[in-house]
Amino acid sequence: MNDLSGLLTALQFGDGQFPGGGFAFSWGLESLIADGQITRTGFGGFLAGQMRHRWAKCDRVIIAHAHAAAGDLSRLLALDDLADAWATVETMRAGSRRAGLALLGTHLRLGTPGAQPLKNAIDGGKAQGHLPVVQGVVLAGIGLDGPSALAVSAYGMAQSFCTAAIRLGLISHLDAQRSLADVRPDLARIIAEPMPDTDDIQSFTPLADIAAMRHMDQTQRLFSN
Amino acid sequence: MRKIGAARIGIGGPVGSGKTALVERLIPALHKRGVDLAVITNDLVTHEDAERLRRTNLLAPERILAVEAGACPHTVIREDPTLNMEAADSLDRDFPDLDLILIESGGDNLASTFSLDLVDYWLFVIDVAGGDDIPRKRGPGVIQSDLLVINKVDLAPYVGVTLAPMIREASAARAGRPVLCTNCRANEGIDAVADALCAAVLYQAA
Ligand SMILES: Nc1nc2c(ncn2[C@@H]2O[C@H](COP(=O)(O)OP(=O)(O)OP(=O)(O)O)[C@@H](O)[C@H]2O)c(=O)[nH]1
Ligand SMILES: [Mg+2]
Repeated sequence: MNDLSGLLTALQFGDGQFPGGGFAFSWGLESLIADGQITRTGFGGFLAGQMRHRWAKCDRVIIAHAHAAAGDLSRLLALDDLADAWATVETMRAGSRRAGLALLGTHLRLGTPGAQPLKNAIDGGKAQGHLPVVQGVVLAGIGLDGPSALAVSAYGMAQSFCTAAIRLGLISHLDAQRSLADVRPDLARIIAEPMPDTDDIQSFTPLADIAAMRHMDQTQRLFSN
Repeated sequence: MRKIGAARIGIGGPVGSGKTALVERLIPALHKRGVDLAVITNDLVTHEDAERLRRTNLLAPERILAVEAGACPHTVIREDPTLNMEAADSLDRDFPDLDLILIESGGDNLASTFSLDLVDYWLFVIDVAGGDDIPRKRGPGVIQSDLLVINKVDLAPYVGVTLAPMIREASAARAGRPVLCTNCRANEGIDAVADALCAAVLYQAA
Protein backbone atom coordinates (compact mmCIF):
# COMPACT_ATOMS: atom_id res chain seq x y z
CA MET A 1 0.00 0.00 0.00
CA ASN A 2 1.50 3.39 -0.92
CA ASP A 3 1.23 6.29 1.53
CA LEU A 4 -1.81 7.94 0.04
CA SER A 5 -3.71 4.73 -0.42
CA GLY A 6 -2.84 3.75 3.17
CA LEU A 7 -4.06 7.14 4.40
CA LEU A 8 -7.33 6.78 2.51
CA THR A 9 -7.82 3.28 3.90
CA ALA A 10 -7.16 4.53 7.44
CA LEU A 11 -9.64 7.38 6.90
CA GLN A 12 -12.36 4.98 5.75
CA PHE A 13 -11.96 2.58 8.65
CA GLY A 14 -11.17 5.25 11.26
CA ASP A 15 -14.21 7.32 10.28
CA GLY A 16 -16.61 7.85 13.17
CA GLN A 17 -19.36 6.96 10.69
CA PHE A 18 -17.89 3.54 10.02
CA PRO A 19 -20.68 1.11 10.95
CA GLY A 20 -19.26 -0.76 13.92
CA GLY A 21 -21.81 0.15 16.59
CA GLY A 22 -19.31 2.36 18.46
CA PHE A 23 -21.76 5.24 18.88
CA ALA A 24 -23.82 3.31 21.45
CA PHE A 25 -21.01 2.99 24.03
CA SER A 26 -19.76 5.63 26.48
CA TRP A 27 -17.30 3.41 28.43
CA GLY A 28 -18.30 4.89 31.78
CA LEU A 29 -18.68 8.50 30.67
CA GLU A 30 -22.49 8.54 30.94
CA SER A 31 -22.33 7.51 34.61
CA LEU A 32 -19.48 9.91 35.39
CA ILE A 33 -21.65 12.74 34.11
CA ALA A 34 -24.75 11.47 35.91
CA ASP A 35 -22.75 11.29 39.16
CA GLY A 36 -21.42 14.82 38.69
CA GLN A 37 -17.84 13.54 38.58
CA ILE A 38 -16.79 15.38 35.44
CA THR A 39 -17.18 18.93 34.17
CA ARG A 40 -16.85 20.54 30.76
CA THR A 41 -13.39 21.87 31.56
CA GLY A 42 -12.31 18.51 32.95
CA PHE A 43 -13.18 16.58 29.79
CA GLY A 44 -9.80 17.09 28.08
CA GLY A 45 -8.00 15.69 31.13
CA PHE A 46 -10.40 12.76 31.28
CA LEU A 47 -9.82 11.95 27.62
CA ALA A 48 -6.03 12.11 27.99
CA GLY A 49 -6.24 9.89 31.08
CA GLN A 50 -8.37 7.27 29.33
CA MET A 51 -6.01 7.16 26.37
CA ARG A 52 -2.84 7.05 28.49
CA HIS A 53 -3.93 4.76 31.28
CA ARG A 54 -6.28 2.37 29.54
CA TRP A 55 -5.97 2.47 25.76
CA ALA A 56 -2.16 2.81 25.66
CA LYS A 57 -1.36 0.20 28.29
CA CYS A 58 -4.07 -2.34 27.64
CA ASP A 59 -6.08 -2.05 24.39
CA ARG A 60 -3.07 -0.99 22.33
CA VAL A 61 -1.03 -3.98 23.41
CA ILE A 62 -3.78 -6.48 22.60
CA ILE A 63 -4.53 -4.80 19.26
CA ALA A 64 -0.88 -4.81 18.25
CA HIS A 65 -0.41 -8.46 19.16
CA ALA A 66 -3.66 -9.45 17.43
CA HIS A 67 -2.62 -7.47 14.36
CA ALA A 68 0.71 -9.29 14.26
CA ALA A 69 -1.01 -12.67 14.78
CA ALA A 70 -3.97 -12.04 12.47
CA GLY A 71 -3.52 -15.39 10.70
CA ASP A 72 -2.74 -17.40 13.84
CA LEU A 73 -6.06 -18.46 15.32
CA SER A 74 -4.73 -20.16 18.45
CA ARG A 75 -2.75 -17.04 19.32
CA LEU A 76 -5.87 -14.91 18.73
CA LEU A 77 -7.89 -17.12 21.06
CA ALA A 78 -5.28 -16.61 23.78
CA LEU A 79 -5.38 -12.85 23.23
CA ASP A 80 -9.17 -12.90 23.39
CA ASP A 81 -8.96 -14.71 26.74
CA LEU A 82 -6.53 -12.09 27.91
CA ALA A 83 -8.84 -9.27 26.83
CA ASP A 84 -11.64 -11.00 28.72
CA ALA A 85 -9.53 -11.27 31.86
CA TRP A 86 -8.45 -7.63 31.67
CA ALA A 87 -12.02 -6.37 31.33
CA THR A 88 -12.66 -6.55 35.05
CA VAL A 89 -15.77 -4.38 34.97
CA GLU A 90 -18.87 -6.22 33.76
CA THR A 91 -20.33 -3.37 31.66
CA MET A 92 -16.92 -2.79 30.05
CA ARG A 93 -16.51 -6.49 29.30
CA ALA A 94 -20.00 -6.76 27.82
CA GLY A 95 -19.37 -3.57 25.84
CA SER A 96 -16.08 -4.86 24.51
CA ARG A 97 -17.77 -8.07 23.33
CA ARG A 98 -20.80 -6.36 21.82
CA ALA A 99 -18.72 -3.72 20.06
CA GLY A 100 -16.28 -6.42 18.92
CA LEU A 101 -19.07 -8.56 17.49
CA ALA A 102 -20.69 -5.58 15.78
CA LEU A 103 -17.42 -4.52 14.16
CA LEU A 104 -16.68 -8.08 13.15
CA GLY A 105 -20.20 -8.46 11.72
CA THR A 106 -19.66 -5.54 9.36
CA HIS A 107 -16.25 -6.84 8.25
CA LEU A 108 -17.72 -10.30 7.67
CA ARG A 109 -20.31 -8.80 5.36
CA LEU A 110 -17.60 -6.78 3.63
CA GLY A 111 -15.52 -9.94 3.22
CA THR A 112 -12.48 -8.65 5.12
CA PRO A 113 -9.79 -11.37 5.25
CA GLY A 114 -9.46 -12.94 8.70
CA ALA A 115 -12.99 -12.07 9.82
CA GLN A 116 -14.57 -15.44 9.01
CA PRO A 117 -12.17 -17.73 10.94
CA LEU A 118 -12.51 -15.53 14.03
CA LYS A 119 -16.30 -15.53 13.70
CA ASN A 120 -16.31 -19.33 13.38
CA ALA A 121 -14.29 -19.57 16.60
CA ILE A 122 -16.75 -17.27 18.37
CA ASP A 123 -19.77 -19.22 17.10
CA GLY A 124 -18.04 -22.39 18.23
CA GLY A 125 -17.72 -21.00 21.75
CA LYS A 126 -13.91 -20.78 21.55
CA ALA A 127 -13.70 -16.98 21.75
CA GLN A 128 -15.73 -14.02 23.00
CA GLY A 129 -14.88 -11.58 20.23
CA HIS A 130 -13.43 -8.73 22.30
CA LEU A 131 -13.03 -5.41 20.54
CA PRO A 132 -9.21 -5.07 20.62
CA VAL A 133 -8.76 -8.56 19.16
CA VAL A 134 -11.32 -7.91 16.42
CA GLN A 135 -9.71 -4.55 15.68
CA GLY A 136 -6.28 -6.10 15.34
CA VAL A 137 -7.58 -8.79 12.99
CA VAL A 138 -9.75 -6.67 10.71
CA LEU A 139 -7.33 -3.75 10.49
CA ALA A 140 -4.65 -6.22 9.43
CA GLY A 141 -7.19 -7.76 7.05
CA ILE A 142 -7.83 -4.49 5.24
CA GLY A 143 -4.07 -4.08 4.80
CA LEU A 144 -3.10 -1.44 7.36
CA ASP A 145 0.35 -1.73 8.91
CA GLY A 146 0.68 -1.95 12.69
CA PRO A 147 1.16 1.75 13.50
CA SER A 148 -1.71 2.76 11.18
CA ALA A 149 -3.97 0.17 12.80
CA LEU A 150 -3.10 1.61 16.22
CA ALA A 151 -3.73 5.14 14.97
CA VAL A 152 -7.17 4.11 13.66
CA SER A 153 -8.02 2.47 16.98
CA ALA A 154 -6.72 5.36 19.11
CA TYR A 155 -8.54 7.95 17.06
CA GLY A 156 -11.71 5.85 17.07
CA MET A 157 -11.64 5.57 20.85
CA ALA A 158 -10.91 9.28 21.37
CA GLN A 159 -13.55 10.49 18.93
CA SER A 160 -16.09 8.10 20.39
CA PHE A 161 -15.58 9.65 23.84
CA CYS A 162 -15.94 13.10 22.24
CA THR A 163 -19.19 12.39 20.38
CA ALA A 164 -20.63 10.69 23.47
CA ALA A 165 -19.71 13.75 25.54
CA ILE A 166 -21.40 16.02 22.99
CA ARG A 167 -24.57 13.91 22.94
CA LEU A 168 -24.61 13.84 26.74
CA GLY A 169 -24.47 17.63 26.79
CA LEU A 170 -21.08 17.82 28.52
CA ILE A 171 -19.03 19.57 25.83
CA SER A 172 -19.54 21.49 22.58
CA HIS A 173 -18.51 20.47 19.09
CA LEU A 174 -15.55 22.87 19.32
CA ASP A 175 -14.50 21.52 22.72
CA ALA A 176 -14.40 18.10 21.09
CA GLN A 177 -12.10 19.21 18.29
CA ARG A 178 -9.82 21.02 20.75
CA SER A 179 -9.65 17.94 22.97
CA LEU A 180 -8.81 15.72 19.99
CA ALA A 181 -6.08 18.12 18.87
CA ASP A 182 -4.66 18.33 22.41
CA VAL A 183 -4.44 14.56 22.79
CA ARG A 184 -2.98 13.95 19.31
CA PRO A 185 0.76 14.47 20.16
CA ASP A 186 0.34 12.10 23.08
CA LEU A 187 -1.25 9.45 20.86
CA ALA A 188 1.45 9.80 18.21
CA ARG A 189 4.14 9.36 20.87
CA ILE A 190 2.41 6.36 22.44
CA ILE A 191 1.94 4.61 19.09
CA ALA A 192 5.66 4.99 18.34
CA GLU A 193 6.73 3.54 21.71
CA PRO A 194 8.14 0.00 21.85
CA MET A 195 5.37 -2.57 22.21
CA PRO A 196 5.20 -4.19 25.66
CA ASP A 197 4.78 -7.91 26.03
CA THR A 198 1.29 -9.12 26.92
CA ASP A 199 2.59 -9.88 30.44
CA ASP A 200 3.12 -6.15 30.92
CA ILE A 201 -0.45 -5.07 30.21
CA GLN A 202 -1.88 -2.68 32.79
CA SER A 203 -4.92 -0.49 33.18
CA PHE A 204 -5.67 2.11 35.84
CA THR A 205 -8.74 4.30 35.43
CA PRO A 206 -10.49 3.82 38.78
CA LEU A 207 -13.01 6.66 38.59
CA ALA A 208 -14.27 5.62 35.16
CA ASP A 209 -14.28 1.95 36.18
CA ILE A 210 -16.43 2.64 39.24
CA ALA A 211 -18.73 4.80 37.13
CA ALA A 212 -19.02 1.98 34.59
CA MET A 213 -19.92 -0.44 37.39
CA ARG A 214 -22.70 1.90 38.43
CA HIS A 215 -24.11 2.18 34.92
CA MET A 216 -26.58 -0.69 35.27
CA ASP A 217 -28.32 1.15 38.11
CA GLN A 218 -28.60 4.57 36.47
CA THR A 219 -32.13 5.78 35.80
CA GLN A 220 -31.08 7.25 32.46
CA ARG A 221 -29.16 5.00 30.10
CA LEU A 222 -28.78 6.40 26.63
CA PHE A 223 -25.64 4.34 26.16
CA SER A 224 -24.89 0.67 26.45
CA ASN A 225 -22.20 1.27 29.09
CA MET B 1 -26.27 -11.84 2.18
CA ARG B 2 -27.30 -13.27 5.53
CA LYS B 3 -28.23 -16.90 6.02
CA ILE B 4 -31.93 -17.53 5.91
CA GLY B 5 -33.29 -16.65 9.31
CA ALA B 6 -36.43 -14.97 10.59
CA ALA B 7 -37.91 -12.16 8.52
CA ARG B 8 -37.17 -8.75 10.05
CA ILE B 9 -39.73 -6.00 10.28
CA GLY B 10 -38.98 -2.44 11.40
CA ILE B 11 -41.51 -0.28 13.24
CA GLY B 12 -40.65 3.42 13.24
CA GLY B 13 -42.50 6.62 14.00
CA PRO B 14 -42.58 9.74 16.17
CA VAL B 15 -42.39 9.62 19.97
CA GLY B 16 -45.59 8.32 21.54
CA SER B 17 -47.41 7.49 18.28
CA GLY B 18 -48.17 3.99 19.60
CA LYS B 19 -45.34 1.76 18.35
CA THR B 20 -45.13 -0.29 21.54
CA ALA B 21 -48.93 -0.40 21.81
CA LEU B 22 -49.02 -1.78 18.26
CA VAL B 23 -46.36 -4.39 19.09
CA GLU B 24 -48.41 -5.41 22.15
CA ARG B 25 -51.44 -5.92 19.92
CA LEU B 26 -49.54 -7.58 17.09
CA ILE B 27 -47.98 -10.28 19.28
CA PRO B 28 -51.26 -12.14 19.97
CA ALA B 29 -52.53 -11.44 16.44
CA LEU B 30 -49.39 -13.00 14.97
CA HIS B 31 -49.40 -15.89 17.45
CA LYS B 32 -52.96 -16.64 16.28
CA ARG B 33 -51.52 -16.93 12.76
CA GLY B 34 -48.95 -19.43 13.98
CA VAL B 35 -46.01 -17.02 13.69
CA ASP B 36 -42.98 -17.73 15.91
CA LEU B 37 -41.97 -14.28 17.11
CA ALA B 38 -39.34 -12.15 18.89
CA VAL B 39 -38.96 -8.41 19.49
CA ILE B 40 -36.05 -5.96 19.65
CA THR B 41 -36.66 -2.52 21.16
CA ASN B 42 -34.39 0.49 20.62
CA ASP B 43 -35.37 2.34 23.75
CA LEU B 44 -33.93 5.79 23.67
CA VAL B 45 -33.24 6.54 27.29
CA THR B 46 -33.92 3.39 29.32
CA HIS B 47 -35.07 -0.17 28.84
CA GLU B 48 -38.63 1.00 29.47
CA ASP B 49 -40.30 -0.46 26.38
CA ALA B 50 -38.50 -3.80 26.64
CA GLU B 51 -39.48 -4.07 30.30
CA ARG B 52 -43.05 -3.01 29.55
CA LEU B 53 -43.30 -5.75 26.90
CA ARG B 54 -41.82 -8.31 29.27
CA ARG B 55 -44.39 -7.40 31.93
CA THR B 56 -47.24 -8.17 29.53
CA ASN B 57 -46.12 -11.83 29.50
CA LEU B 58 -47.10 -12.02 25.84
CA LEU B 59 -43.66 -13.36 24.95
CA ALA B 60 -40.98 -15.23 26.88
CA PRO B 61 -38.58 -12.59 28.32
CA GLU B 62 -35.60 -14.01 26.41
CA ARG B 63 -37.45 -13.23 23.17
CA ILE B 64 -37.38 -9.51 23.95
CA LEU B 65 -34.01 -7.76 23.53
CA ALA B 66 -33.20 -4.11 24.13
CA VAL B 67 -30.54 -2.32 22.07
CA GLU B 68 -29.31 1.07 23.28
CA ALA B 69 -29.09 3.79 20.68
CA GLY B 70 -26.58 6.17 22.30
CA ALA B 71 -29.13 8.96 21.79
CA CYS B 72 -29.10 8.27 18.04
CA PRO B 73 -32.36 6.53 17.11
CA HIS B 74 -31.73 7.24 13.40
CA THR B 75 -28.20 5.88 13.40
CA VAL B 76 -29.01 2.54 14.99
CA ILE B 77 -31.61 1.69 12.33
CA ARG B 78 -29.99 3.27 9.30
CA GLU B 79 -26.39 4.55 9.14
CA ASP B 80 -25.07 1.94 11.54
CA PRO B 81 -27.58 -0.83 12.23
CA THR B 82 -24.87 -3.31 13.24
CA LEU B 83 -26.00 -3.59 16.88
CA ASN B 84 -29.56 -4.36 15.80
CA MET B 85 -28.27 -6.85 13.24
CA GLU B 86 -26.18 -8.57 15.90
CA ALA B 87 -29.19 -8.71 18.23
CA ALA B 88 -31.35 -10.19 15.45
CA ASP B 89 -28.61 -12.70 14.55
CA SER B 90 -28.45 -13.79 18.19
CA LEU B 91 -32.24 -14.32 18.23
CA ASP B 92 -31.91 -16.42 15.06
CA ARG B 93 -29.22 -18.50 16.78
CA ASP B 94 -31.16 -18.92 20.04
CA PHE B 95 -34.52 -19.67 18.38
CA PRO B 96 -33.93 -21.68 15.20
CA ASP B 97 -37.67 -21.87 14.38
CA LEU B 98 -38.19 -18.13 14.58
CA ASP B 99 -40.33 -16.73 11.73
CA LEU B 100 -40.36 -13.04 12.49
CA ILE B 101 -38.46 -10.38 14.44
CA LEU B 102 -40.15 -7.03 15.10
CA ILE B 103 -37.68 -4.18 15.63
CA GLU B 104 -39.20 -1.13 17.35
CA SER B 105 -37.23 2.03 16.71
CA GLY B 106 -36.83 4.59 19.47
CA GLY B 107 -39.33 7.42 19.09
CA ASP B 108 -37.95 9.70 16.41
CA ASN B 109 -39.09 12.22 13.82
CA LEU B 110 -40.60 12.14 10.35
CA ALA B 111 -37.21 11.73 8.66
CA SER B 112 -36.39 8.35 10.13
CA THR B 113 -36.08 5.41 7.75
CA PHE B 114 -34.80 1.85 8.13
CA SER B 115 -31.76 0.35 6.42
CA LEU B 116 -32.74 -2.43 4.06
CA ASP B 117 -29.68 -4.32 5.30
CA LEU B 118 -31.46 -4.48 8.66
CA VAL B 119 -35.10 -5.13 7.75
CA ASP B 120 -37.04 -6.82 4.97
CA TYR B 121 -40.05 -4.57 5.43
CA TRP B 122 -40.86 -1.60 7.64
CA LEU B 123 -43.85 0.30 8.80
CA PHE B 124 -44.16 3.81 10.09
CA VAL B 125 -46.67 4.63 12.82
CA ILE B 126 -48.15 8.12 13.12
CA ASP B 127 -51.21 9.08 15.12
CA VAL B 128 -54.11 11.42 14.53
CA ALA B 129 -53.25 13.45 17.64
CA GLY B 130 -49.98 14.49 15.99
CA GLY B 131 -52.08 16.47 13.52
CA ASP B 132 -53.81 15.71 10.23
CA ASP B 133 -51.13 17.70 8.41
CA ILE B 134 -48.45 15.05 9.07
CA PRO B 135 -48.97 13.24 5.73
CA ARG B 136 -48.75 16.58 3.89
CA LYS B 137 -45.35 17.20 5.48
CA ARG B 138 -44.12 14.26 3.42
CA GLY B 139 -41.37 13.08 5.78
CA PRO B 140 -39.24 10.24 4.41
CA GLY B 141 -40.75 7.91 7.05
CA VAL B 142 -44.26 8.67 5.83
CA ILE B 143 -43.32 8.40 2.16
CA GLN B 144 -40.84 5.53 2.02
CA SER B 145 -42.21 3.04 4.56
CA ASP B 146 -43.74 -0.13 3.14
CA LEU B 147 -46.83 0.42 5.26
CA LEU B 148 -48.09 3.59 6.93
CA VAL B 149 -50.19 3.07 10.04
CA ILE B 150 -52.37 5.90 11.32
CA ASN B 151 -53.00 5.06 14.96
CA LYS B 152 -55.25 6.44 17.71
CA VAL B 153 -58.15 6.91 15.31
CA ASP B 154 -60.39 6.89 18.40
CA LEU B 155 -58.96 10.31 19.28
CA ALA B 156 -59.88 11.95 15.95
CA PRO B 157 -63.03 13.72 17.22
CA TYR B 158 -61.16 15.12 20.21
CA VAL B 159 -58.34 16.68 18.26
CA GLY B 160 -60.45 18.06 15.43
CA VAL B 161 -59.27 15.59 12.80
CA THR B 162 -61.51 14.24 10.05
CA LEU B 163 -60.10 10.85 9.16
CA ALA B 164 -61.16 10.43 5.53
CA PRO B 165 -59.19 13.41 4.13
CA MET B 166 -56.18 12.50 6.28
CA ILE B 167 -56.14 8.98 4.80
CA ARG B 168 -56.65 10.37 1.30
CA GLU B 169 -53.72 12.76 1.67
CA ALA B 170 -51.55 10.03 3.13
CA SER B 171 -52.33 7.72 0.20
CA ALA B 172 -51.65 10.51 -2.27
CA ALA B 173 -48.31 11.37 -0.63
CA ARG B 174 -47.42 7.67 -0.83
CA ALA B 175 -48.52 7.30 -4.42
CA GLY B 176 -51.16 4.77 -3.42
CA ARG B 177 -48.94 2.50 -1.30
CA PRO B 178 -50.76 0.98 1.69
CA VAL B 179 -52.13 3.01 4.58
CA LEU B 180 -53.97 1.32 7.44
CA CYS B 181 -55.79 2.78 10.44
CA THR B 182 -55.64 1.37 13.96
CA ASN B 183 -56.98 1.98 17.40
CA CYS B 184 -54.55 0.09 19.59
CA ARG B 185 -56.49 0.94 22.70
CA ALA B 186 -59.56 -0.99 21.48
CA ASN B 187 -57.63 -3.54 19.38
CA GLU B 188 -59.18 -2.27 16.14
CA GLY B 189 -57.50 -2.60 12.75
CA ILE B 190 -54.77 -4.89 14.10
CA ASP B 191 -55.77 -7.92 12.02
CA ALA B 192 -55.32 -5.96 8.81
CA VAL B 193 -51.81 -4.96 9.90
CA ALA B 194 -50.94 -8.55 10.89
CA ASP B 195 -52.25 -9.82 7.53
CA ALA B 196 -50.23 -7.21 5.64
CA LEU B 197 -47.02 -8.23 7.48
CA CYS B 198 -47.62 -11.94 6.92
CA ALA B 199 -48.40 -11.44 3.25
CA ALA B 200 -45.34 -9.27 2.72
CA VAL B 201 -42.63 -11.30 4.44
CA LEU B 202 -43.97 -14.73 5.34
CA TYR B 203 -45.63 -15.62 2.03
CA GLN B 204 -48.66 -16.60 4.06
CA ALA B 205 -52.13 -16.11 2.63
CA ALA B 206 -53.75 -13.09 4.26
N1 LIG C 1 -56.44 6.62 22.68
C1 LIG C 1 -55.44 5.87 22.21
N2 LIG C 1 -54.26 5.88 22.87
C2 LIG C 1 -53.27 5.10 22.39
C3 LIG C 1 -53.41 4.31 21.22
N3 LIG C 1 -52.22 3.68 20.97
C4 LIG C 1 -51.39 4.06 21.96
N4 LIG C 1 -52.01 4.92 22.81
C5 LIG C 1 -51.43 5.57 23.98
O1 LIG C 1 -50.41 6.45 23.55
C6 LIG C 1 -49.33 6.51 24.48
C7 LIG C 1 -48.01 6.18 23.78
O2 LIG C 1 -48.07 4.85 23.30
P1 LIG C 1 -46.76 3.97 23.10
O3 LIG C 1 -47.18 2.68 22.56
O4 LIG C 1 -45.94 3.99 24.33
O5 LIG C 1 -46.04 4.84 22.00
P2 LIG C 1 -44.58 4.61 21.35
O6 LIG C 1 -44.68 5.06 19.95
O7 LIG C 1 -44.13 3.24 21.61
O8 LIG C 1 -43.72 5.64 22.21
P3 LIG C 1 -42.10 5.77 22.24
O9 LIG C 1 -41.55 4.38 22.17
O10 LIG C 1 -41.83 6.45 23.54
O11 LIG C 1 -41.76 6.61 21.06
C8 LIG C 1 -49.68 5.50 25.56
O12 LIG C 1 -50.23 6.20 26.64
C9 LIG C 1 -50.70 4.60 24.91
O13 LIG C 1 -51.60 4.02 25.82
C10 LIG C 1 -54.68 4.35 20.54
O14 LIG C 1 -54.88 3.71 19.51
N5 LIG C 1 -55.65 5.14 21.08
MG1 LIG D 1 -42.30 2.56 22.41
